[in-house]
Amino acid sequence: MNLGPLSRILPQAKLQEDVVITHEDVDRAHDRVRVSEARAQRGIFSRFRLLWLLVGPGILVMLGENDGPSMISYAATGARFGIGFFIPFVILTFCMAIVVQEMTMRLGSATHRGHAELIFDRFGPFWGWFSMIDLGIGNFLTLITEFIAIRAGLGFFGVPPWAAVASALVFLCLAVMMHRYWTWERTLLAIAAFNLVFVPVALLTHPNWHSVGSALITWKPLPGGLSQDTLIIVLADIGATVTPWMLFFQQSATVDKGLTRKDIHLGRIDTTVGAALAAIAAVATILATAPLFAHHITAENLQGAEFAQALQPLIGRFGAALFALGIVEAGMVASVTISISSAYAFGEVARRPHSLNLPVGQGKAFYSVLFLCAATAGAIVLIPGLPLVYVVLLVNVVAVLAMPPALVFLFMLANDREIMGDLVSPRWANFLATCVVVFLTLAGLLFGVSVIAPNFFAFLGGK
Amino acid sequence: MTPKDEGHGSITSSDQQLVLSSLEPEQLAGLKKHLIPRRHLKGLEKFVMWSLRIYLLFMMVAVIYQVWTSLH
Repeated sequence: MNLGPLSRILPQAKLQEDVVITHEDVDRAHDRVRVSEARAQRGIFSRFRLLWLLVGPGILVMLGENDGPSMISYAATGARFGIGFFIPFVILTFCMAIVVQEMTMRLGSATHRGHAELIFDRFGPFWGWFSMIDLGIGNFLTLITEFIAIRAGLGFFGVPPWAAVASALVFLCLAVMMHRYWTWERTLLAIAAFNLVFVPVALLTHPNWHSVGSALITWKPLPGGLSQDTLIIVLADIGATVTPWMLFFQQSATVDKGLTRKDIHLGRIDTTVGAALAAIAAVATILATAPLFAHHITAENLQGAEFAQALQPLIGRFGAALFALGIVEAGMVASVTISISSAYAFGEVARRPHSLNLPVGQGKAFYSVLFLCAATAGAIVLIPGLPLVYVVLLVNVVAVLAMPPALVFLFMLANDREIMGDLVSPRWANFLATCVVVFLTLAGLLFGVSVIAPNFFAFLGGK
Repeated sequence: MTPKDEGHGSITSSDQQLVLSSLEPEQLAGLKKHLIPRRHLKGLEKFVMWSLRIYLLFMMVAVIYQVWTSLH
């Protein structure tokens, strides 16, 4: 057997103990056999088959991050600023996401442990429980915003709120009840691909490609200049690039999928492809709503499906329906990935079985956390007069609290030679990661300050 | 190593063989109950951890203040 770096620091007596083999292990072993067979064969087809077998966590985390609130945020950006600065800027934010998420994939492949349990074990129970509780609260509040997006998107088609929430919960049950990581991952990948529905919507608006090319090169125009409001939107976009659940989800999914040190190269491709697809969907959403800016249609107070209604006179009923469906898909995929991220983290910290390969009988705690989080968030959305603004504010504040510790721990763990062995980050990668971590932390901090003390940026001489 | 049957079909010896030949030992679910030893922090790392604690304290106070002023 090939022993990894953890085997050197875990007491050998424990490694020699009578370890129980479970169904989770058997399912994972079947998946690994297919990977080994594909790796043993030669030829382009086999290479693609190997890639197909190993992609998943990276694409899912990136398309999951293009969640309901994010797509609405991109739509608002397009409607408010048109084609210009924010197109290259959004692409840059996804490049930063690649740097951070690559570290989680590498950590998971090298240690076979989730992010929550590594923090718990290596930095002690205080930071372990802090990360867990902060993640749990942040995920729960974010889940509420996902259900709001689903409700709004389906509302475009006349679906009543209770039916929208119920259908999202049924979707979650169906996605998870397969008791097989592989089946769950492939199903969710197929549905997440629907995030690209914003591309045909963008094409229906007949974007000015010359303006798009110019914006990519010059990062201009930025209507209104760098005002206080624009700065807050920039900071919010940076802060939303990498959220705590993404770190926990990709690492846990990498472990659950069974990726090993040999798979890291293809794991990087998985993460990069995911970021590219998500960036395409994000830019397409900005392009789709840019005509609202060009036609001087006020979009400051538009929410969810209201963008679809505003676009209908410009792109027709079919295009507007696609836009609304895109919002629904974004909310549904994110509600699954975020719920699972909470369940993984709980299982890791509470030392309970945590895998999508688990039968319900063996994973009662895992599935209970998953469904309870989703069902409670869905029920809250049905409360009349829900103060949505307050929920979003709380989401941002919790994210600000969680992100600096999460990023610092990620950086320290990725450079922890005791658990990573020779897979610690090389110097050039560390330089890149340091820049991104410092940049994201500062942006998150400034955004937090802007939320807590909205007048702070007046000192910066904003317009 | 011993197989585990919890009513979802028994794990055969061929399954056991498959697991042992396909997975790294650290991938076995049963082994994950063992804690990884705690990390010994050095000077700069201790500084970073204390900075995080101070940051959290500051942000908690700021958030509680904000919530309190919002409620009043």
